[in-house]
Formats: sequence, structure tokens, C-alpha cells
Amino acid sequence: MNTEEILLKYKPDKENLIQILHEIQDLHPQQYLTETDLLKVAKYLNITRSFVYGVVGYYSMFSTTPRGKYIIRLCESPVCNMFNSKMIAEKLKEILKIDINQTTADGLFTLELSECLGLCGNKPSMMINRETYTELDENNIELIIKNLRNN
Amino acid sequence: MEEFVKITIDGKHINALKGSNLLQLAKDNGIPIPSLCYHKKLSPTGACRLCLVKIKGTNGLVASCTVQVKEEMEVTAFDDELEECRKYLLDYLVSEHNEENDNSYTDEFFELLKKYNLYDKSKRKYPSVWKLMNYSKDDSSPVLTYDASKCIKCFRCIKACDEVQGKNVLSFNDRGMGSYIIAGFDKWKESECDGCGECIQLCPTGAIVEKPHRSEININNLDRKVKTTCPYCGVGCQIEMQVKDEKILRSNGVEGVSPNDGRLCIKGRFGYDFVQSKERLTHPLIKKNGKFEKASWDEALDLIASKFNECIDKYGNEALAGYSSAKCTNEENYIFQKFIRTVFGNNNVDYCTRLCHASTVTAMLRSIGDGAGSNSIEDFETTDCLLVTGNNIIETHPITATYVKRGVSKGMQVIIIDPKWTPLVNYASIWLQPRLGTDVALLNGMIRYIIQNDLMDKKFIESRIDNGMQAFEYLKKLCQKYTPAYVEQITGVPGKLMTEAARIYATSPTSMIATGMGMSQQVTGTNNVFSLINMMLITAQIGKERAGIDPPRGQNNVQGATDVGASPLNYPGYIPVTNDENRRKVAEIWNVPYESLSSKPGLTTVEIAHAAYNGKIKALYIMGENPMLTDPNLNHAKESFNKLDFLVVQDIFHTETTAFADVILPAASFAEKNGTFVNSDRRVLRVRKVVDSPGEARNDWKIILDIAQRMGKPMKTYNNESEIFDEIAAVTPIMAGINHERIEEHGIQWPCYDKNHPGTSTLFLEKFNTPNGKAKLNPVDYVAQQEKVSDEYPFLLNSGRILYQYHSSTMSRKNDALNAFANKSYVLMHPNDVIKHNFIDGIEVKLTSARGNLTTTLRISEEVLEGELFMPWHFSESPVNNLTRDELDPHSKIAPFKLSACKVEKV
Ligand code: SF4
Ligand code: SF4
Ligand code: FES
Ligand code: FES
Repeated sequence: MNTEEILLKYKPDKENLIQILHEIQDLHPQQYLTETDLLKVAKYLNITRSFVYGVVGYYSMFSTTPRGKYIIRLCESPVCNMFNSKMIAEKLKEILKIDINQTTADGLFTLELSECLGLCGNKPSMMINRETYTELDENNIELIIKNLRNN
Repeated sequence: MEEFVKITIDGKHINALKGSNLLQLAKDNGIPIPSLCYHKKLSPTGACRLCLVKIKGTNGLVASCTVQVKEEMEVTAFDDELEECRKYLLDYLVSEHNEENDNSYTDEFFELLKKYNLYDKSKRKYPSVWKLMNYSKDDSSPVLTYDASKCIKCFRCIKACDEVQGKNVLSFNDRGMGSYIIAGFDKWKESECDGCGECIQLCPTGAIVEKPHRSEININNLDRKVKTTCPYCGVGCQIEMQVKDEKILRSNGVEGVSPNDGRLCIKGRFGYDFVQSKERLTHPLIKKNGKFEKASWDEALDLIASKFNECIDKYGNEALAGYSSAKCTNEENYIFQKFIRTVFGNNNVDYCTRLCHASTVTAMLRSIGDGAGSNSIEDFETTDCLLVTGNNIIETHPITATYVKRGVSKGMQVIIIDPKWTPLVNYASIWLQPRLGTDVALLNGMIRYIIQNDLMDKKFIESRIDNGMQAFEYLKKLCQKYTPAYVEQITGVPGKLMTEAARIYATSPTSMIATGMGMSQQVTGTNNVFSLINMMLITAQIGKERAGIDPPRGQNNVQGATDVGASPLNYPGYIPVTNDENRRKVAEIWNVPYESLSSKPGLTTVEIAHAAYNGKIKALYIMGENPMLTDPNLNHAKESFNKLDFLVVQDIFHTETTAFADVILPAASFAEKNGTFVNSDRRVLRVRKVVDSPGEARNDWKIILDIAQRMGKPMKTYNNESEIFDEIAAVTPIMAGINHERIEEHGIQWPCYDKNHPGTSTLFLEKFNTPNGKAKLNPVDYVAQQEKVSDEYPFLLNSGRILYQYHSSTMSRKNDALNAFANKSYVLMHPNDVIKHNFIDGIEVKLTSARGNLTTTLRISEEVLEGELFMPWHFSESPVNNLTRDELDPHSKIAPFKLSACKVEKV
């Protein structure tokens, strides 16, 4: 699959913008959207560049800078927050030796915060790429990261 | 149906149109409800909340800009609570706004801050939060700067670009407090922005400001603001020039006035620097021993007078001719043609219209009796279907195009016929891409489809077409052979697309045609337009409002110049020179013997050059034209000019043509004189003096009168331009009711027959302007072009214009803002051809035709068909007209600028 093939799967209608952006971003090994790709999208959908860019900027799940193979999106919304997501964030920073919105030197992990993931029932929660992880605590996150590293 | 309702605002009873905007209604009735994000031209946003009011029966406070009025509404616009609330809101809003350099506030924003006593920072309650936000500036555009720290997020710029200009270049990035306006990928320069500056004009806080003259602009201490008409294209936008210390610092669109309602394109907004360029001609120059030397006006004028007289004595009247100018005012063109007819004593006066729309005008005159556009510019928004043929309207008539784009957003269908991609394709329902020079076949094919499917209007044909069904039958027979397959074979346009376009055009309740140079500048130019008109007539897409044919005119006054008689064939008001009765009437008004006015049609532009070549024209007087760049087959034209005994060129700059002159006279630019222009929708518009002319430059009409005087044939003198216009009105029936005073505020569209006549927005509603009032069908067959590709010359070259430069670019290229967008010649070639010939994008290439050659830069582009090329012709260092032919269309004498066989080589 390349960008062109993804585009051709969709009707050139701007309603499909978000879906298309997702697919293209997923396709990229560094999980981000390049300007070249955004240009292609704008042209295909016959919309202006700022429209595309505005949508990319609005949703935190899109990035215009290279990111790690695994994108950790830790929920910081109220429920999770009440149940210690702050502490989890600190722990993750410590394990990965990076700050929020940074990528590890080996290009494996990017750490991001996110709005409610809809997993409040099993708080605190996070997603890594498309996988969900719930009921986090200091111990299980260490394990999760370790497993991914060894993968 | 319009329904009126009674409402009260603060106790005042108002009769209002149901559904009208409450805020606007209040303002219109002298109740100035404060507002910030609202603008008359934009849909309401409801972002700033300043326009809060109370409405009886509604809970809480409502933003009046979002309310449509209903019967018996009782509104409170001002009370202590509301004012308190507004003050609080405004205070909060400006805390996000960096108030340093406040010299670009709009008047309304400035007044608002004063009103609520918040202009003084110390009076504000909220701290400046913008300082915490780490906002950035986008300084990348050549014409503007966006400073997020000054932005209060009213979104007027986004809507200005989208709703007013139809470009939608702007959007916003991020969420909440940190959000800001972006163009492109957060870099203005690399966005689709074309620099029109609509967003600058509508930004209240100076967050978006222009770059040119930025440091000099201070709205609080301007010397004057003068309203006038844009000097570039034929849209005729109304501009307001702002002056400080005799320097023009800014040009804004005039709001609320046709044709542009405040909108401008980049040329109108940023193209004025040429006026005060150092390169302006400031003194008369006489060529002595091959070199130009400064001369006094006396010396120059005496020399011209004696040379013109000498020429008349030696070779007779017929050996002199003049080129009038589509850039000059009506008053000047009128005086010029009067000079040629009464002082030279012949009709050898023409100008560049011969090079652009002569064929369109010829075909229109013969078929429907008028060569001018039948509709108003505003109709481009409201018609149901618009057929755009050979007309890159977004680039050549940008403001007319804004109406089209707005129409499209409301459901108008646009059909484009053009061998080359144009930006309007992005807005079109259908784009037909015929090969160069095959228009008649395509249009005849559409006519055939319309007839076969019974989509014509028999009643109209019978009642409004000369010889009714009989003429129609003839057309039907002639078009019989243009089957979709046959047409596809000639034009390359798929039959299905062609028939679909024909169906939409014929069956839309109203369809308009915008036809451009692509149709007219061909050897078959007149036939192209005949065929187009045939289709329009049988479908009755004329003779009603929002239907008809409109050739958007290229130059600011190309319409007016012919209207007032700068034509070898017609006197003012399109009355043929052969019309004795009219010559008798005019002779009386001009106070000359009737016998002295020649009834022999004069020579046209290219014919004058040919006659010079053959030694028949010996002296030529050029006012504001640049034929040495604009004439076809330039090498030949140059030889012709070299053969002249005497050439006078009157201009504001040195041009390719002044080099050939014996005497150069410095003239006033549009910004230094009073008068009128006529735009593409026949609107007579005021031109007003903004600044003084540089050096000794003089008004064209005064120079002409001086020459006549010194030739011993004095013409009538005038105190001012308004007096000249009154004489124009006296000899030009279609303008009889117009004078300067009447058009002080708003232009008037001719025909306007008397002082009480309101002017005419749509032509031909009742009858056509032909002798018997009926339109004529002129069936024409497709004829293959003589100029063909060959082994030696394998490409067909098309030429045209771009948004950022103008005509021979004498004016436009003297503006840094325009040059920053485009200042380099290029040729477009299809990727397959680039590969085939082993070229690469960006290399220098030499183009050669049978007439001449030039070098330019190759650009790879899918905008052209394989085997075809496109070049803009503005750039004198790569003069496209070295390559073009001077074979003329037999009907209109237009030259085929659009089609030249040539070859391309690496240099
Ligand atoms: S200058 Fe014109 S095109 Fe550019 S962003 Fe502003 S409104 Fe849009
Ligand atoms: S559209 Fe034409 S008249 Fe209007 S500002 Fe642009 S160049 Fe001037
Ligand atoms: S609040 Fe964290 S998943 Fe909903
Ligand atoms: S003017 Fe009504 S909300 Fe801004």
C-alpha cells in the first residue's frame, strides 16, 4: 500500500478526510504525516492545504513530526486522573527516559497524553497504537513496556 | 415572497423584512449595536458576543447578529446591564490581544475601544494573557504578516477568504486558547493564498496586515482618501487610495459599491506602486542622432506639429494614423479619436481591442447588435449555469470570478471549455478540453445534440430570430454532420461529456456565457463566437435576466475606448463612420464642416502596421499602447515601425515601443487625472485624481489639444473632464443620460438614454439591437487550421495571461508585491512530452516558429494537452509574439495569438 492506493480506496469527498489521514499515518513506520502526503490528500479531495492541516492540528492523534513505532497515549481525563494516571505518567517517563511528546532514542516509543479514551470503567487506561491497556499500575506498565521492547 | 414585519428596538418602531439580520437592521436604522466579529459581507459567526441584546420572551441575552427578525419582536439594545456586559466581554477579548503598533485597527475597532474606555491599557481589568501564549508570527507571505498575538479569533479573515473571495485558504490550528489562524501547512507563502488582501481589509485588530508601506501607514494621520477605479482589468473595481505626504500608501476596496463591494485582487490592492516609480517619464524626449535627449514641451510639441503637417503635405491625409489606448479614460480616448478624425482627417484610429475581442465584438454586433456584455457582473453569482469558454476568469477577471465561486457554493453549474486547465476547473461541473483551434466543431456538436433532443426553444426562435424557423432549419442542416463521434475525432472531447455539457447549458433555467481570448484570438475567432451565439439563440439563453453572453474585457477601459469612438469603423456610440446623418450631427457639435469628416472606414491596428511596412502610413501617433510587445509576428511589426517617417509615443514609462519613437511625451497615470472608465458590464465609473503627476508629465487630452493647436487646426478646449464627458454624452446616444455628477457615488450601466434613465443592467430583454430588432443566426462550418504541427514544428503553442502580471507588464512589473509572486517567463509542457524529448523540468529552452524564436524556462505540467504548450505573454525578455502569426481573421482582423506551431530545443 502506498498513499495513492489509500486515496483511491475513497471517494474524493472531504467527509473521508479523517479516515484517510488515519490510514496514511498508520502506514508510515514513524507514525506521522508528511507534508508530501498532506499535499496529495488536499489535491485528491480538492480542498485547501490549511483545511487538511487544521484537522491534523485539531486531533491529537495526528502528528506532523516523526514518532516512535509504539505510540503510548495515556488518558489524562478526569476519571483516570483521579485514579492516579499522573503517577503512571511519571513512571512511564522514568522507564522510557523521555518527557511527554518525546520519542525514545531508539525510535521505539513516543509518549503522549490523550483525552478520555472511553475506558473509564477500568481506569486508569492507555492505548499503545491500536491496543488498549487498562487498570494500570506501577508493575504492569513496566511489564508492558518490557514485552514490547523485546518484541 | 417578501414579507414585512413590525418590530421595536429600544422603543423605536421599525418596518423590517421578515428574516433580515437583527444586528444589521439595527445598524441600518441608526441603532449602533456594538459588534466585532460581524461583517455585512459575511455570514454571522456569533463569536465575540458583543452584539448581545434582550428580546422579550426569550431567556437571557442573545447575540443579535445571529437573530432573524420576526413579527412583533421587542428588542432592548441598550441598557446598563447590556453595556456593563459588553464592556466586560470586550475587556476579556482584548486581554488576548497584543496592542503594540495599533496603527492598523479598523475604525470600528478603534471606536469600540474608545467607547468602552478600554483603549487606555491601564483602564483594563484583565491582564494581557497573550503574553503567556508564546504566539508565533507568520511573516512568510510577500504581501502580509499574521501575528497571532494580535488575533482575537473573530474569524472574519477565514470567512473573508472563503465566503467573499471563494478561496478558503485559511483555517485555524490547535484548540482552545492556543488556536490561531493558518494558511497552508502553517506557512502562508506555501499556501494557495494569492495575495488579494481581503483578509487584511476585514481584520479589525491588525493581526493580518499588509507588508507594502507597513511602516508608513498610520490610520490616524492620513492626508486624504480618494475613491477611484482600478487601472488594471476590465472588472472596474472601486478602490480607495490612501495618501500621506503625497505618497500613495494603500489601496482598499470600496465597500457597498458595485461592481466589487469592497473586494479586490492582488493587482488592485498591491499594484499601485508603479504610479510613483522612479522610472516614470517626466520630460519630453526627442531622438537626436539615435539618442533620446530631454526637451521642453514647446520644442517637442512644435516638432510634432510640423512633422505631422509635413507628412500631410507630402503624402496626404491618409498617410497618418493613431493608436488610442484601452488604459486611458473615455475623455482622453474621445479627444484622441476626434483629433484623428478632424485634424488628421481620416478614420485611422484603432487600439489593442483589435488584438483581443475584435472577433467577439464583430460576431456579437452582426448577430445581436451589441458587442458589449449583456449582463451585470453580479449575475455571475445568481445565474443557474455558466459556460466559460476560452476564459481563465479566475486569473484574468478575479473579482468577476468571486461571484462565480459564490454562485457555485449555492449550486450554480459551471461548464468550462478550454484546452488548458484553469483554476476554475476546481469549481466546475464539467470541463471539456478540446484541442486548440477546434471550437467550432465542438460547439456545432453541442448544437446538434440540442436539436436532436428537442432542447431548443421554438417560440423564441420564431419570435426573436430573423427568419425564424427557416433560419433554424438551415442551422440544423449544417450541424447535422457533427455527430458525437465526428466531434470527438476532431476535438478529442469524449462525446458523452460534450452532450452532457450541452444538456446542462440548454436546460438550465438561465445560462450565461463568459467568452474569452481563447475563442477570439484565432483565425476563426469570429466563427467561434458565431457558433457560440447560435447555440445561445436557439436555446433562448438570452433575452431574459441572468442569461446572455459576456466577454469580460481585458483592460480597464477597453470597453469605454470603443464606446466613445476609438475605432476605425465607428463613431462614438457604435455609429458607423458611413452613417451620413450621424456625421452631419457630429460635425455640428464638433463645429467642423461635415464634408471634412471622412466616411471611409479607417485601418485597423495590424493593418496600420502592414500599411507602414508598405510605405502607406508615414506618421503614427501612439497614446499609451505598446505594440512592439503586443503585436503579432513582432519581427515583422518592428520592421514596419522602422519604416515610419515619424513616430510619437505618449506614455507613462519607457516601453518596447518608445524605443522606436522620434518623440516621447510623458503622460499622467490613472492616479493623476479625472475622468471615467467603462468596465465589462458597461458601467461608467469615475476616475479621480489622487496625486500630482511627476515632473512635467501632462494629461493626455491636454497634450492632444496642444498638438492640434500647434498644427494650426485648433480643437475646442475644455475647463475640465466633466465638460468633455458632456460632449461625449451629446454625440453618444447610449451615454446621453450620463454625466460626472450622476456617477459620483455609483456607476451607471449604458445604455442610458436620458437624465432620468436608470441605466440598463441586462441587454436585449425586449429586442435585439439590430435594425429589425431580431437576432441573426450565422451558421458556420468547422475549418481545419492552416497552421499545423509538422515534423519540424511538432508543438502547438497557446498563450495567455496570469493573475500576477498584466498585459505587457509595463505597469505591473513595477510593483515588488506582484513580482514576488511571478516575475519569470516559462513554458508549460505535458509530462509525456517532457519524457519523450528527454527534457527535464526547469531547464532553459529555445522555442522556434516559422516567424522567430525566444528562450524561456521549461515547466512540466499536466495543465496542457500532449503536443500543446502554454506561455504567459507578459514577459518582454521572452516575447511570445516573436512566434505568433499576423494572418488575420477575415471578419474582424484579429490575429491568432492562441495557436502557433513551433519546436522546442535545449539551449
Ligand atoms: S490574502 Fe486573500 S487569498 Fe490570501 S489568505 Fe487573505 S483573503 Fe485569502
Ligand atoms: S479584479 Fe481587475 S479591476 Fe478588480 S482589483 Fe483586480 S485588476 Fe483591479
Ligand atoms: S477518563 Fe480516562 S478513559 Fe475516560
Ligand atoms: S458581532 Fe455578534 S457575536 Fe460578534
